[in-house]
Amino acid sequence: MNGCILVLVALGLSIVFGLMGIINFAHGIFYMLGAYAGWLTVHLTGSFWLALLAAPIAVGLVGVLVERGVLKRIYGTRNANFAGVLVTYGLAIMIPDLVRMTFGRPGKPFAVPEALTGSLFRLGAIDVHRYRVFILLVTAVLLPLLWLLLNKTNLGLVIRAGTSDNLMVQLLGINVARTWTITYALGAALAAFAGVITAPLVAVAPEMGGLVLIECFIVTVVGGMGSFVGAVVGGLLIGETLALTGMLYDVLADVVIYLAMALVLLVRPRGLFGQEGMSEE
Amino acid sequence: MRGLALAALVLATVPLYADYTPFYLGLLTEVLVFGLFALAYDVLLGHAGVLSLGHSAFVGVAAYTTGLLLARYRAPLELSVLAGAVGGLVTALVLGALVLRKRGVYLAMLTLALSQVFYYVVLMWTPVTGGTDGLGNLPVLALSEPLGWRLSKRPVTRYYVVAAVVFLAMLAIRYLLRSPFGRVMRAVKANETRAAACGYDTRRVKLVAFAISGLFSGLAGALLTVVLEFVPIENIHWQMSGAVLIMTLFGGTGTLLGPFVGAGVFIWMRDFLSKYLEYWEVFVGASFVLIVLFLPEGIVGTLARLVTRRRAAPVSAEEDRLPEPERLVRADPRSGDADGRLLESRGLTKRFGGLTAVDRVDFVVRRGELRSVIGPNGAGKTTFFNLLTGVLPPSAGRILWKGADITGQPAHKISRLGIARSYQITNIFGDLTVFENVRIAAQSRVTHYRFWGNPDRLTAVNERAEEILRELGLSARRDVRGAELSHGEQRYLEIGVALATDPDFLLLDEPTAGMSPDETRRTAALVRRLAGLVTIVVVEHDMEVVMGISDRITVLNYGEVLAEGTPAEIRENADVRRVYLRD
Repeated sequence: MNGCILVLVALGLSIVFGLMGIINFAHGIFYMLGAYAGWLTVHLTGSFWLALLAAPIAVGLVGVLVERGVLKRIYGTRNANFAGVLVTYGLAIMIPDLVRMTFGRPGKPFAVPEALTGSLFRLGAIDVHRYRVFILLVTAVLLPLLWLLLNKTNLGLVIRAGTSDNLMVQLLGINVARTWTITYALGAALAAFAGVITAPLVAVAPEMGGLVLIECFIVTVVGGMGSFVGAVVGGLLIGETLALTGMLYDVLADVVIYLAMALVLLVRPRGLFGQEGMSEE
Repeated sequence: MRGLALAALVLATVPLYADYTPFYLGLLTEVLVFGLFALAYDVLLGHAGVLSLGHSAFVGVAAYTTGLLLARYRAPLELSVLAGAVGGLVTALVLGALVLRKRGVYLAMLTLALSQVFYYVVLMWTPVTGGTDGLGNLPVLALSEPLGWRLSKRPVTRYYVVAAVVFLAMLAIRYLLRSPFGRVMRAVKANETRAAACGYDTRRVKLVAFAISGLFSGLAGALLTVVLEFVPIENIHWQMSGAVLIMTLFGGTGTLLGPFVGAGVFIWMRDFLSKYLEYWEVFVGASFVLIVLFLPEGIVGTLARLVTRRRAAPVSAEEDRLPEPERLVRADPRSGDADGRLLESRGLTKRFGGLTAVDRVDFVVRRGELRSVIGPNGAGKTTFFNLLTGVLPPSAGRILWKGADITGQPAHKISRLGIARSYQITNIFGDLTVFENVRIAAQSRVTHYRFWGNPDRLTAVNERAEEILRELGLSARRDVRGAELSHGEQRYLEIGVALATDPDFLLLDEPTAGMSPDETRRTAALVRRLAGLVTIVVVEHDMEVVMGISDRITVLNYGEVLAEGTPAEIRENADVRRVYLRD
């Protein structure tokens, strides 16, 4: 389950990097905002299903604001990629405090929706919870859809072409600016969706973005930055490693994934599925 | 120098101006320590051009090392501080060696992720580190060691001791930045590819920059332990890296004073603003975003720019005489293998996915030859150059230099062999002056890692650089930034940078690209006159130039050698005519 959520969050990070060359440090914030938007929806309407829809849309709009309001200003400047890291980093410092200001310091409880409580069946000594199966299914449906979006639609074609040669795509008369906005918003919405479905498993808190961001970094290093398959395989690998080591020997859980990352860096710096030359600059 | 004296004076007299309470003096001490940390950070960011988000590991490891030595082993204070600094250095070397396999923003992401390992180790190793409670109970005050007693209960004494250490560290950093190695770091920051082509091992240069940065960050971490008498776990959390980044950019990167000003502003926000604004990080984050967007030079950088009026660049006094090639070239005429083969490729191939850009090219250049490589667009000429100069690894085939296999050698090693190149798309150190462009290239033949002395006193290097500028007619422009030159001048500088590495072998990639007819004629004459003194391979599109200057011509088409021969032979070659006419 951890794996599924990591896949969704890392995928957004990876797509945005692939297209825009920016490591989006605000990505964890979108995840956290998604969880809060979900909590707010449930709090107001009582419907978890509505939250699943409302949170990605709301946070996607925040993504549009960030891209149009802040990131747009740095495109084409000297060291634009550095500046992209810096401004999104600034947002990552600022926004959790804004959330604390609005919702208070302590986290918010988020109950598992009633229809999904309890265990579905028992597998040996392990209870298989309905909600966890739900996450698995949702991811299993969403991933092929995303793949189709990126590989079989016009938008996906432009995104992938822009990833390999942005200038050329512009010269072909395609509105790259809009593609960038859409891509950034898509990444934000994905993270937000992951945030809502995680919310019942953890406490919704302003700090939840920072941790997931670093785990996503590890996923993209292991899987290969900018690669769809890399994000999926890397996410599952890292997520399940975390879960397993967490079960076996809690103390080591956090360190093992870092060692995995260091190993990949030493043996295969471009990641398991990364393209040669990608992420060099 | 006057600035330093003033800084020393201010540091020495600050406690006298007003009746500071111990609290304020403690804060001031902290500002100095964080200023040192930010300065150490800026060695990497502002001078070597590496964005790190992992400095929490350097400062944190140092803080814990010092703290543990004091708390558990009752080690002398000086030794503990020193050990802390070394801890920072070692951590930086380990982390740097891992992350420098990547570059740019990807590297920044890696530093952040890897630095968190140290946080988790501290977090889990509670019996030793105190976990989330931090490491307290440090007997800094109780020590009766030579310096320990002086750090008595009086904050003023502690202030002076820390101020002295910070001031000395700042002097050391300043000295390093102004050394010949400091210039190498700046060249790597300005243009890493070009620095490698000049013979500098850029990855190692950056690793050394990491080490320097880690050492002084470590010193700051150790001092922080002494000042606070406590090691909070926040010291090793990634937000510490964020804090130092914010301080550095607030103050202004690339300056000595900036990091200290930035540290002051940050600590003011943390300790005073937070009294009135519970959510002060909103303010910090927002002002950081604004600074990055609107004041990228920071507070000090912007002020400095406003205060110092820019000097007008001297007008170019065009010299219309041709250079003396003997002064430009210092090749060894006896070099080369017995039958004069200097550079040779055998079956050289480069594939990009399904595309074969260079296809089984056999190529021999003899000493003293002037060879042109021509071919339609996309024939693989530039890729061929990139293979020969180690920019790209070949997919198959071998490259021989004076009979020895050099296949797969990195660009900086190729340069050290005596192979220099110019680029099709102008590739100079845009941020460095014209003189420094050539000087740093000449310095690569003399010294890379010299951390002492004044680079302006490397007489042989300077004379060489002056000579090249004079011969190329660029002397009048010596103090202008490379990026501000006209296109034609940049093309000349490009050749000058290549010649300054004293090559035996010169690869020129379209030296006349974009030049006026007059400039083209001058350049062709220059290339012709250099030939005979140095072996030259030139890629060129201007057929008049090619036919006029070449000894032999190689024609590439779809990555393959189509023909090779004297200009007369090539002119008559049916295959070549077919390819060019169709084109």
